[in-house]
Amino acid sequence: MSTLRAALLVALKDLQLEVRTKEILTSTGLFAVLVVTLGSLAFYTDPVSSPNVAPGVLWISILFCGILLIGRSWALERENDAVFGLLLAPIPRASIYIGKTISALVLLFVIELLLVPLCLIFFQIEASGIMLPLLALIFLGSVGFVSTASLFSAVGIRTRARDLMLSVLVFPLVAPALLASAVATRELFAGATTAEILGWMRILTAFDLLFVGFGVWVSRHLLSET
Amino acid sequence: MKLDFEEVSVAGLTKSYGPTLALAGVDLSFSAGSVTVIQGSNGSGKSTLLWLLAMLAYPTRGEIRYGKYGVSRADGLRGRIGFVAHQLQLYPGLSGHENLLLAAKLQNIPYAEKRATDLCEALSLGEYWDRPVRTYSRGQAQRVSIARALLHEPRLLLMDEPATGLDAKSTASVVGLIEQEKQDGAIVIVVTHEAKFASQVADRVLHMDRGRLVEPEA
Repeated sequence: MSTLRAALLVALKDLQLEVRTKEILTSTGLFAVLVVTLGSLAFYTDPVSSPNVAPGVLWISILFCGILLIGRSWALERENDAVFGLLLAPIPRASIYIGKTISALVLLFVIELLLVPLCLIFFQIEASGIMLPLLALIFLGSVGFVSTASLFSAVGIRTRARDLMLSVLVFPLVAPALLASAVATRELFAGATTAEILGWMRILTAFDLLFVGFGVWVSRHLLSET
Repeated sequence: MKLDFEEVSVAGLTKSYGPTLALAGVDLSFSAGSVTVIQGSNGSGKSTLLWLLAMLAYPTRGEIRYGKYGVSRADGLRGRIGFVAHQLQLYPGLSGHENLLLAAKLQNIPYAEKRATDLCEALSLGEYWDRPVRTYSRGQAQRVSIARALLHEPRLLLMDEPATGLDAKSTASVVGLIEQEKQDGAIVIVVTHEAKFASQVADRVLHMDRGRLVEPEA
């Protein structure tokens, strides 16, 4: 079976589980709304300074929600040792990592579809003209972050200190992508054109390619003996 | 491509977890159409042996051969191995049917639905087929796990305490299924503490203690 087909089966299984239980979206979505609401109440000053604050609140929300979501997604694999059911199948090991990354990305995008309008409304940011580049930035930032966090979740599936490891290792590693995303979003909110933030997008694309490629390569070995 | 083999052999098989020696140089072979029961006290290395044979862990030393193939051909061999583990390896949020279909798709079985239905009947899974596994009793989930292991008609069937939680009728079904697998030429290795179950299925009984094969106590 091809890696991509097996990855899609793994991703569809995760999404089927989520449609059934709504466990991840409910808990993470509520958390996201809470963070954005608290951020807007605590940091909001006036319409002039709010574009400087909003990107921080938006990306902190995405980061925390992503960590929660990915942690929960891999916890499903630990329950009943279900991941070994996947490992027993004659599929490429990398497909498990790719499938889990795809499903986490889809779920995070659903949360982001809730987060972005809330953030724009609470911080009174004019949406016209920035939606497409903003969505592109969020997509690029999320891919790098989710691929890295998924990789370390795969590493930690049989490790007791998995949550600590996820926080301690993932945050520094994804810091460049998050900083680039936050700065590019700030520029966009401050009135920069798409052409002006293209450099940031290139950095994010390079980061994504690097971490997705590294994740696919490493996961073959990591998931071989858990 | 699924690889075929008529014999499984292990030589000098050793597995340690840090300072703990789980298997200490085991030599064994298992041939097609036979049922081997392995018994022993807790921590004697029985389950570790099954995990190594299922290629879910690597030996620290020693070798496992599946006919002429080694573990380097794992991708082709995995489609020939069925494993009923002590932890049932099922997704609690999916129904028994969905768990089986997922396994069938991952195993690339073209006649998945029919095979799943046949096993459903053989193991009397029908009543709770479409309910989430988390609502099952241990015995019901155990039967789904057994069905999943048999789904792809494995050449090597590994079972860790397969009769756990099963009532007399279900145990009889499992005994029948093991007999059927044996008739079909499978290599069946069962770890069990249950003497009656062992006597019903075993062609040979091995005993393990502290990672080694030992003579049974009189």
